Amino acid sequence: MNIRQTKNEKALTIAVEGRLDTMTAPELEEVLKNSLEGIEALTFDLEKLDYISSAGLRVLLSAQKTMNNQGTMKVLHANEIVMEIFEVTGFSDILTIE
Amino acid sequence: MKLVQKMRSRMAVNIIGAIVMLLVVFGLIVSAIGYVNFTDAFKREYSVTTYHMADTAAALVNGDHIDAYLQGERAEEYRQTKARIDTYCARMNVSLVYVIRVDTGDYGRFVSVFNSVNNTVDNSAYTEWELGHARNTTNDEYREVYRSLYEADAPYGTVYRIRPGDGSHPHITTLVPVKDSGGKTTALLCVQRPMRELRDAQRPYLIHIAVSTVILAILASAIAVAYIRTKIVRPIRTASDEATRFAKENTKGEPIGGISRYEELQNLTRSIDTMETDMVRYMENLTAATAEKERIAAELTLAGQIQMNSIPNDFPAFPDRTEFDIYASMDPAKDVGGDFYNFFPIDEDHLAIVIGDVSGKGIPAALFMMVTNIIISDRTRMGGSPAEILAYVNDDLCKHNKADMFVTVWLGILELTTGKLIAANAGHEYPILGQNGAFALLRDKHGFIVGGMDGIRYRNYELTLAPGDRLFLYTDGLPEATDADERMFGTDRVLAALNGAGNASAQEILQAVHTAVNDFVKDAEQFDDLTMLCLDYRGTTGENTYGTTA
Repeated sequence: MNIRQTKNEKALTIAVEGRLDTMTAPELEEVLKNSLEGIEALTFDLEKLDYISSAGLRVLLSAQKTMNNQGTMKVLHANEIVMEIFEVTGFSDILTIE
Repeated sequence: MKLVQKMRSRMAVNIIGAIVMLLVVFGLIVSAIGYVNFTDAFKREYSVTTYHMADTAAALVNGDHIDAYLQGERAEEYRQTKARIDTYCARMNVSLVYVIRVDTGDYGRFVSVFNSVNNTVDNSAYTEWELGHARNTTNDEYREVYRSLYEADAPYGTVYRIRPGDGSHPHITTLVPVKDSGGKTTALLCVQRPMRELRDAQRPYLIHIAVSTVILAILASAIAVAYIRTKIVRPIRTASDEATRFAKENTKGEPIGGISRYEELQNLTRSIDTMETDMVRYMENLTAATAEKERIAAELTLAGQIQMNSIPNDFPAFPDRTEFDIYASMDPAKDVGGDFYNFFPIDEDHLAIVIGDVSGKGIPAALFMMVTNIIISDRTRMGGSPAEILAYVNDDLCKHNKADMFVTVWLGILELTTGKLIAANAGHEYPILGQNGAFALLRDKHGFIVGGMDGIRYRNYELTLAPGDRLFLYTDGLPEATDADERMFGTDRVLAALNGAGNASAQEILQAVHTAVNDFVKDAEQFDDLTMLCLDYRGTTGENTYGTTA
């Protein structure tokens, strides 16, 4: 998994590549823990994300909860597999997916 | 042969051997240097004393009359001089005294003027040269000496024969110029003297040095042996013995750190002491850790049993009910898992069916699963639709969920007499419905997972099962079961396995899917919990349209 961050004042874009599962989710969690301070617009670019497991969903949920208190969060470019997982788990109801 | 090999591998033997070799080489070098110096000193001494002897003899010869003597003039004076030289030769213990006039053109020839022989001195067999006896110069060494005496005004010249080739004894020949009254060299007086003392002294000297060297070598070796044995070999052997003992017994021995005062050996022996202490401590820790690990493993096994017993796992679960058959299995990836299923009658006509999957795995997931399962079953027994029940469970779980864990849950309530099924799906996998022997995904309405965020509303949906229909529920561990090449089993293979099983009983259907998934993943490690449940609805008539009756 690869994580690329692009910060523009209070807007942060995080591009996640590869698989976001039990093994890699803690890494993203660590990145978020250190980066969300003062961020008002968080964007996840999932264009190159192949797969997301429940551990990965948990990290997105935590991020969503944090952003509910300090700004907005949206998810971009989820592929078919990831989108299917979002829909099955109901995450498509609570995430802003564009 | 074995002994030789053993000796060769012994450090002490090798070191001592090296010392003896060194001393022998040293002795040889000392002997050689001593021999050269000894010979040089002897030669110098001979050279000087023979020069004085020759110089004295030269005074006996009148340098002004050399040519006259050679022409046969002054015969009386020649005879008297010859007699003095003979006497001199006899008295001075020299082999030869002779006077020659060298041809100064190329110093290649000379003629004899006087010649005295004393064969007794060196047991030689010279014969006297007569006056005027002409000879060619013996070799270039003599030629150069002649030249230096005639031309360079050298006081004397010396020719050594330490090891004469002709078999005679070592001797020295000293040449001095015989000068006329004008100071011009007119002839050369040569004295040949045996170097008997050199020969006599050489052998005892060499033997002396050789014997001294041998004695010194033996003494030095003995001291070295004693020293190396006590100060080096013994401590090393102690260290080696202790290391060998430790390797066998693995117990702390007597400290050996102080047995040598040499830094290197101290480091070695102290390292052995430290190593033993550390190893023993490490082994104790390892034993304790292993015991602890075993205890945890035993507890986990027990926890796994408790978890399994918290859900119905005794089949057939309802042997006296003819309206349905149900079968389920749960295979955690570890001792305990985060998956669960449950089914229980709410009243005489209603059966609740639950399947769920907690995010994550292992102990945290297992604890969360236990809590979730209990809340769901308690709340379900209190009545209400699946959507209401899940909303309540969600809010309840969210209150105490600091770890952001969540559960996907499918909850259905089946009315047994009519086959009417009301269900709600909180983020769980699509159920699979088997109708008329064909299985297909039921793309039901999905709500958000349970425990993620409070205030979530869920939606009920309704369908009616006909007798002979089957409902197959599973967790994502099934479609996401992965083989060694990282390929997933997938819902298509799940459907294929189900359709292949066709009209079998609920238990047989689960077994067929199990077989299919096992054949697929082969030896790859099971990564996620795998849970399946199959409901075989038969309706009030108790008929099983497609399957074998129980």
